[in-house]
Amino acid sequence: MIIEMARVRIAGPRPRLDAALRLLQDVGDLHLMAPTPADGAAQAVAAPAAAPARPLRHVTRLLDDVETVLGALPVAAPLVPLVAPPTAWPAAARRVRRLRREVAALEHERTALVEEHTLLLQYRAFFEAFGPLLQRTPRWPDTRTSFVLLRAGAGASVGELEKKLRSVAAAQVELHARPLPSGEIAVLMQASGSAAAQVEDLLAAARLDELPAPRGLGEIPLVQAMPALRERVTQIEARLAANATRRARLAAEARPELTALQMQLHDLLLLAEAQVQIRTGELLFVIEGWMPDPALVPLRQRMARELGPDIVVAKVGTEPWSRADAPVALANPRLFRPFELITRAFPLPRYGSIDPTPFVAVFFPTFFGLMLGDVGYGLMLAVLAAVLRWRSHPGSKLRAVSEMALGCALFAVVFGVLFGEFFGTLGASFGMRPLAFDRENSLVPFLVFTVALGAVHVVLGLVLAVVGAWRQGQRRQAVGRGLTIAMIALSALALLAAFRVLPERFFTPAAIAVLVAFPVLVALEGIIAVVELMSAFGHILSYARIMALGTASLMLAIIANRMVGALGSAVVGVAFALLFHLVNFAIGLFSPTIHALRLHYVEFFGEFYSPGGATYRPLSHWRPASPRAIG
Amino acid sequence: MDLIWVVFAAAAAIAVTALATAWAQGRIGPAVAASLAEKPELATTAIIMVAIPETMVILGFVVAVMILLRTAG
Repeated sequence: MIIEMARVRIAGPRPRLDAALRLLQDVGDLHLMAPTPADGAAQAVAAPAAAPARPLRHVTRLLDDVETVLGALPVAAPLVPLVAPPTAWPAAARRVRRLRREVAALEHERTALVEEHTLLLQYRAFFEAFGPLLQRTPRWPDTRTSFVLLRAGAGASVGELEKKLRSVAAAQVELHARPLPSGEIAVLMQASGSAAAQVEDLLAAARLDELPAPRGLGEIPLVQAMPALRERVTQIEARLAANATRRARLAAEARPELTALQMQLHDLLLLAEAQVQIRTGELLFVIEGWMPDPALVPLRQRMARELGPDIVVAKVGTEPWSRADAPVALANPRLFRPFELITRAFPLPRYGSIDPTPFVAVFFPTFFGLMLGDVGYGLMLAVLAAVLRWRSHPGSKLRAVSEMALGCALFAVVFGVLFGEFFGTLGASFGMRPLAFDRENSLVPFLVFTVALGAVHVVLGLVLAVVGAWRQGQRRQAVGRGLTIAMIALSALALLAAFRVLPERFFTPAAIAVLVAFPVLVALEGIIAVVELMSAFGHILSYARIMALGTASLMLAIIANRMVGALGSAVVGVAFALLFHLVNFAIGLFSPTIHALRLHYVEFFGEFYSPGGATYRPLSHWRPASPRAIG
Repeated sequence: MDLIWVVFAAAAAIAVTALATAWAQGRIGPAVAASLAEKPELATTAIIMVAIPETMVILGFVVAVMILLRTAG
């Protein structure tokens, strides 16, 4: 449901404005709005007072420093308790700037070390590949050795290089190439002293796509390079460990203070933003906004208790038409709350209209359960949802999704029992029997049931449209929608009589009533009513998808079960059956979700939903989001 | 009625609607992907847009089932 809002005006002496704003921020209930220009109380004071620009710039810059440092430091888990925020701003700013420089230097060092470490590991593979070759006695007394490490995919250039080397100094040069496990190609060239210069020239001219050699490796003989390289790797690993320790220590020392500072700075900015919507004069200030109606009396009492009788908190009388700008806050029972995610995926409903969340919470899992309708798949989904719930943070979107999935799993199990399905027809082997429908054989009754369910859902949408239109004073539209409901009900009655589900004598009166109601509907709502009526019938038929998807899911499960005996080997058959069930389970999660969503957004919401509500954003304290693992 | 024509009619009910759905989704899909790249908040609308043409193949499936059941009955 949408919370009832009250328009509130708070007025008081100008010197008490800061205290009043801080109290409102502590309470966290008032959604600020600019005072009505035509209002006498608002005109009595001057224009909105903007916050001074220069201190704001300092706050913004300091906040940037704080968030940069927090972003670069590793996250300590669990969340560290916050300490009291600093009171001496200049000292805090100096400390944060020093921390930012220190963290940047540590980050720079870490990046350079990681890059060098990666390169050295690639060259270590190089020397391991050529180790025996480098140990043997050189072919020429004045042998010169050159090496390159080519990037992955540069294999073609090795052949060309070898061809050119042979053409200039065939007998005085040897080229060895080895592909490395990481994809690069290690190339080692040994040449006699007289051919060395030509080899160097050729290498320079060949423009090979090579990796840069580690620093200092070129200055030492290659035989000694391997021990030097190992030593350097050890040094880098030690420095990386020291760097990580230093960053962790900094995080442990500074994060609580920085987080407190971050919150305080954000609060200051929120107050500065709020000031734009407050009118102040030399003597008075006026604050206006919307807040939940039940929270008004406690706010008034707290204002009087903490700020004295000078501050007046009054409820402004509003006409229903002027409530269009009231912000929208949804409040639903705990069981329905996760389904607000589906409602919130659409623009919020307008203030004064109907929040569809309770209906979504009932029908979404019902449709999902009807489509999946299998005890085995339902239990698998329940396990998945339980794991997701365990891994998610309270209040997060993932938590809401996991709770919706639990509801859907429950309905899938319940309908699975009613349909007698456990991984398709596997349940029959241990005595499971359908209690309501045999979905494999009773296709037509299942189709009729889903279309009837569609009729109920669409008619419910129309009833909500009648209520909404009546509440907003659009009586003519409300009667028109009511007549559409009557026409759908009469058409259903006529159809049931025609197919002899009901006595045939109902047919003629129902058909006559439809024919009479039709021109009345057109007279009330115009020719568009015909289109809307046809579209309502189309919407009802659209619910046939529940039967279609349910049957398709069952057929896939039956095919999976038949694989066990159909593939010769029982082991291969079971493996394929499991794989097929897994694929069917994945389809069974995706397809029913999409189609249940569609049935709500297009068929159900289409009848009554009026979007366009402004989000309720009260002035409150800023809170950091859940920590992210960094570093 | 000759059984082969019944089976053919049921297959056509599925095949034609499946092709129509595929054609529609083939045109909607790229447009939706391009929209999402610029405005990720349109995800809900995108899901609806892609799911709308599926009605054709689903109703095609229902019609095919009805044809087969009527013949079997």
